[in-house]
Amino acid sequence: MESVGTEAANMGEREFKSCDRDDVSHLSLDIGGSLIKMVYFSSGSSSPSDDQKDSYLNDGTNTSIGTSNYNGLREKLHFLKFETSKIDECIKFISSKHLRYYGGQDNKNLASEDNIIKATGGGAFKFADLFKEKLGIVLDKVDEMSCLVAGANFLLKAVNHEAFTYMDGRKDYVQINHKDLYPYLLVNVGSGVSMIKVDGDNEFERVSGTSVGGGTFWGLGRLLTKCQSFDELLELSRQGNNRVIDMLVGDIYGGTDYSKIGLTSTTIASSFGRAISANKELDDYRPEDVARSLLRMISNNIGQIAYLNALRFGLKRIIFGGFFIRGHAYTMDTISVAVDFWSKGEAKALFLRHEGFLGALGAFMNYEKNGFTDITHQFMEQSCEIAQDLVCKDEDL
Amino acid sequence: MANLREREDHRELNIGIGGDLNIDNLADDKSKLNFDTGKDRGSTVLGKEEQLRDKDMGPKAGSSIHRSLSRPQLDLSGAAIQGNFEEKDPAILLPNQSDDISHLALDIGGSLIKLVYFSRHENQPVNDRRRKIIKARLGITNFNRRSFPILGGRLHFVKFETAKINECLDFIYSKQLHRGGMDSRSWQTEGPNTESTVIKATGGGAYKFADLFKDKLGISIEKEDEMNCLVSGANYLLKAIRHEAFTHMEGRKEFVQLDSNDLYPYLLVNIGSGVSIIKVDGEGVFERVSGTNVGGGTYWGLGKLLTKCKSFDELLELSQRGDNRTIDMLVGDIYGGMDYSKIGLSASTIASSFGKAISENKEIDDYRPEDISLSLLRMISYNIGQASVVAKLIDIVISYLNALRFGLKRIFFGGFFIRGHAYTMDTISFAVHFWSKGQAQAMFLRHEGFLGALGAFLSYEKHGLDDLLVHQFVERFPMGAPYIGGNVHGPPLGDLNEKISWMEKFVLKGTEITAPVPMLSPGTTGLGGFEVPSSRGDSLRPDASKLNVGVLHLIPSLEVFPLLADPKTYEPNTIDLSDHGELEYWFKVLSEHMPDLVDKAVASEGGTDDAKRRGDAFARAFSAHLARLMEEPSAYGKLGLAHLLELREECLREFHFHDAYRSIKQRENEASLAVLQDLLMELDSMDEESRLLTLIEGVLAANIFDWGSRACVDLYHKGTIIEIYRMSRDKMQRPWRVDDFDIFKERMFGSAEKKPHKYKRALLFVDNSGADIVLGMLPLARELLRRGTEVVLVGNSLPALNDVTAMELPEIVAEAAKHCDILRAAAEAGGLLVDAMINVQDSPRESSLSVPLMVVENGCGSPCIDLRQVSSELAAAAKDADLIVLEGMGRALHTNYNATFKCDALKVAMVKNQRLAAKLINGNIYDSVCRFEAATSPSPSLSFS
Repeated sequence: MESVGTEAANMGEREFKSCDRDDVSHLSLDIGGSLIKMVYFSSGSSSPSDDQKDSYLNDGTNTSIGTSNYNGLREKLHFLKFETSKIDECIKFISSKHLRYYGGQDNKNLASEDNIIKATGGGAFKFADLFKEKLGIVLDKVDEMSCLVAGANFLLKAVNHEAFTYMDGRKDYVQINHKDLYPYLLVNVGSGVSMIKVDGDNEFERVSGTSVGGGTFWGLGRLLTKCQSFDELLELSRQGNNRVIDMLVGDIYGGTDYSKIGLTSTTIASSFGRAISANKELDDYRPEDVARSLLRMISNNIGQIAYLNALRFGLKRIIFGGFFIRGHAYTMDTISVAVDFWSKGEAKALFLRHEGFLGALGAFMNYEKNGFTDITHQFMEQSCEIAQDLVCKDEDL
Repeated sequence: MANLREREDHRELNIGIGGDLNIDNLADDKSKLNFDTGKDRGSTVLGKEEQLRDKDMGPKAGSSIHRSLSRPQLDLSGAAIQGNFEEKDPAILLPNQSDDISHLALDIGGSLIKLVYFSRHENQPVNDRRRKIIKARLGITNFNRRSFPILGGRLHFVKFETAKINECLDFIYSKQLHRGGMDSRSWQTEGPNTESTVIKATGGGAYKFADLFKDKLGISIEKEDEMNCLVSGANYLLKAIRHEAFTHMEGRKEFVQLDSNDLYPYLLVNIGSGVSIIKVDGEGVFERVSGTNVGGGTYWGLGKLLTKCKSFDELLELSQRGDNRTIDMLVGDIYGGMDYSKIGLSASTIASSFGKAISENKEIDDYRPEDISLSLLRMISYNIGQASVVAKLIDIVISYLNALRFGLKRIFFGGFFIRGHAYTMDTISFAVHFWSKGQAQAMFLRHEGFLGALGAFLSYEKHGLDDLLVHQFVERFPMGAPYIGGNVHGPPLGDLNEKISWMEKFVLKGTEITAPVPMLSPGTTGLGGFEVPSSRGDSLRPDASKLNVGVLHLIPSLEVFPLLADPKTYEPNTIDLSDHGELEYWFKVLSEHMPDLVDKAVASEGGTDDAKRRGDAFARAFSAHLARLMEEPSAYGKLGLAHLLELREECLREFHFHDAYRSIKQRENEASLAVLQDLLMELDSMDEESRLLTLIEGVLAANIFDWGSRACVDLYHKGTIIEIYRMSRDKMQRPWRVDDFDIFKERMFGSAEKKPHKYKRALLFVDNSGADIVLGMLPLARELLRRGTEVVLVGNSLPALNDVTAMELPEIVAEAAKHCDILRAAAEAGGLLVDAMINVQDSPRESSLSVPLMVVENGCGSPCIDLRQVSSELAAAAKDADLIVLEGMGRALHTNYNATFKCDALKVAMVKNQRLAAKLINGNIYDSVCRFEAATSPSPSLSFS
């Protein structure tokens, strides 16, 4: 399986393949400001497939499905995302499923109540009425931060090669000893950024955050480049050169370093700082360069604030998640460089393969009362094999 | 061009100054030097000195010499050089630049050039006999100004756009700043200086433009490390300027009193194109702990791309009318209007900057530039605030780990991004407050943009500023000084003529325009000074917070009054002008008083056309100041009534009205002296106790003669001085509104249990001329002298309203001494008679049996007194003093009413203002205050008693 981002980028006009026959249960949602992330569990009746990856295209948007499954159990964990602004598609998708709701296996808890699904993110509040109205579903709201943490903890424990470092285009998986996992700093880069100090399974504190996140990249990027999608913008940034727009230390110091304080001439002194002096309009800049500067500005900023917070709390690991990253090489590279720079090489940025689904997964974990913990345990025991499999498929990143 | 203005300015404060010799002798430096040596030789040129003093220090009462004799020459010389700056031609040099500009330093940033230069007061010969005598008398051995590291001077702050660097070069050339480098003597020789001057500079441009400076001005730029400069500049400002730092929350600015002993460590966040976060541990001890590339350059750069604004200021301006909710994704947007209170995020918290631009099908042109600018401003300001707080928090952790007891105390923000913009400061303050959960507060600096330039200035080996302390700085806000403001600032005005023409072009339109709209010198920009009126309007918030940066006068001879019980907590002003009602009231009082003041001022200068022109210019200038302060009370730093009243006096002096009340004072002195003898006889017929009461009643009664009070001005037309005096004294029915007379009496005469107390030395802070001094304070002084107490009359250094000055006192005393042996003996003992009457001997007669009566100047030219900044002779006189008498509203009520002293203090005043009476003593107009306070800590003279 490829990581989500790459998959999204590569996704062509694939045919929407219904999984009607799957016995879908434990659907959970993370409804953020820009994206809806969905995780659901399927088992039983779906036709066994050797193909580990199913991708779906929903009305030409880049909604994707990634599956992790363990063949032995014939059960799958599906990962999907929708744009929040196109929430109707999400609703349509859910209604197309024969969803076995929470408590469905043994009806004793269900009584005559409405069907309930676990949901987190601000949209769980905002769209509660919509779900009720359209699907008759009650969104059981789970705290966003708890979900992020639970999701991350699960992934870090259950999937051996979930976390990796990314430097200079090189991806290295990191083996984390479960017993030595805590404490760490979880940086969830969604529309905004939350920084959470995680001390244990359910022990955490949101210590910081910033409003300069994925939403900023996309929002500003749209205004500046007229890109139609986040991924298009990311793609543009790959081809850009930030030196055109950023003011570098060398620009100020006539090409020399300001070595006394450890700034080389290529260090960005001021993002977009060159746009000041040049007598140029927006149209005079290549969208690629603009996208690149923007990406660097935001990634760098996130990396820096994250590192500083880790330093502040003496945390050795900084784990980045959230949909902003979406496996994008340059984004990860920039964040890594920022962490490396500010920590003087002491700290490394870690990324997650399921970066975008922490919240949804965490909400999903909330079903655990219902015996789902067993499944996670099984996942954990068996995950090594899957992970090995995944590594091979990630080479092209 | 420069020197004329400087000369004219330096009349502002004549402390220890021999006067403006060179005003009369513009082109002749050598003559000045001759006077210097003459002085050193002692008495041989005494006659000449006397003559000069009369001319320069202003006439004593009765003197026929008119100060403005020097005026035509001033104008003439001004004409020779005027207009050059406006024409953008290199200015014509004065062949003999008597103003000694010793240092210039630059901070050449990516967008602005900041310039700091120092102009020295002229080498002032101490040729005042009174001063010499008081020096000998008080045992001030080291009073010679030469013993100070510098002779005093002014520090000027100027700013230019980097893109218009030629204007900066022109300015430097026109002021000849480039020739006054390290060795100021070297360029005083005539002819072009072939040696290359070395100028300190910092900022990236110091590298980039080094060649340009070399080519155009022959200046070699010596590059100074940027961080070093920022830090030393900030350190200096925080220590030397009393109200440098302030907080800014929700549009409210509050100045912060910093203890310079408790300054380090602090965090300095310099927001230029990028952001540097520097931890400062002490002088020259600092570390750049963090920084971010998202700074002012990002704001401007991105803003330019997104809004097509042409300038940074335009972009800032836009932001004030913006609504960021149209573009930013708020927590409420995600949570359907609800808070995410569990983690402390309110619905209006920005979840994602520009996050709304995602979901809507809008193009860039569909957004208002105002909204974009605001979103951008908030994004960047929050980010900087956050980075700063995190740096602080990390420091706390590190300090903890290293078992350091003290973490960073404060976070100061500086740099061109802020430029006094209210919303920017609010946003940063909010961010700091938010991220620190209220544990930290952002502080800003009035000279925010000049940290680097000042630091570069301080990097000169002999800048001479090291030893100066807070109390040796006086900040003044002359009109049209080249300290620039906002988008527009006054041109560097060469002389008074230019200044007046400039003021004449300035038309007040109601309260809308608060500042002169001068023939603007294009291209200079930045904080301070006067704003373009158009910068206001339908603002979301008033854009009134731009700060004025004045000219810093360095007066090494100023000292903190040694008898203050607690100089650290001392606050001169009694009335808090941050109360807007109070402010409005005083502005009204001052405005109403203005026509009368202008009339008197013009009359004092002979009522000539020139005087009328200057009078008009003064009125406009002072109205502009008032309007500016009305709009932004803290524009000039923390505003107190004392500052406001002093501003008026300074403004008068700026337009060469050196003593508006001269003839009135003279007339009243004469009238009062004529009846003094009768009064003294009457007093001598009384027994001790009733005499003391009558004396205090007399002080109160005589204090009614006050041209500063509107109510009293009206009274004047109803009777003669002695009539009013007697009538008021008779009306002094005890108990007074504040009546500690019995305590004072007991202190003086003792009681059954207590021995009478003989004071060793009393300092009498006198108020008005005329009856007040002659019939009020002099008789009191006489009584003290009679009881064996040395008396020091403390008068103003410079005229303020009809207040009696230290210069006028010897003559008054001499006249009074004609009628009274006690006064004569004491005045002789104090050396006053020699000086004022008979030109006999150089030194006072030591053989006299009387305790001396002396006169010292207080170091100020205001109707109030700030005891943090007094003359060194007053400080010296205070050493042996065990009684202070503060007389009059200005010194005993408006200021110092709540001041406590190390020695006994008597505060005597008649309240000639209904509002003050109601506010301060819950009383009425013409109520009397006689407040006696025993020393708060053991008096230095207790052993003496």
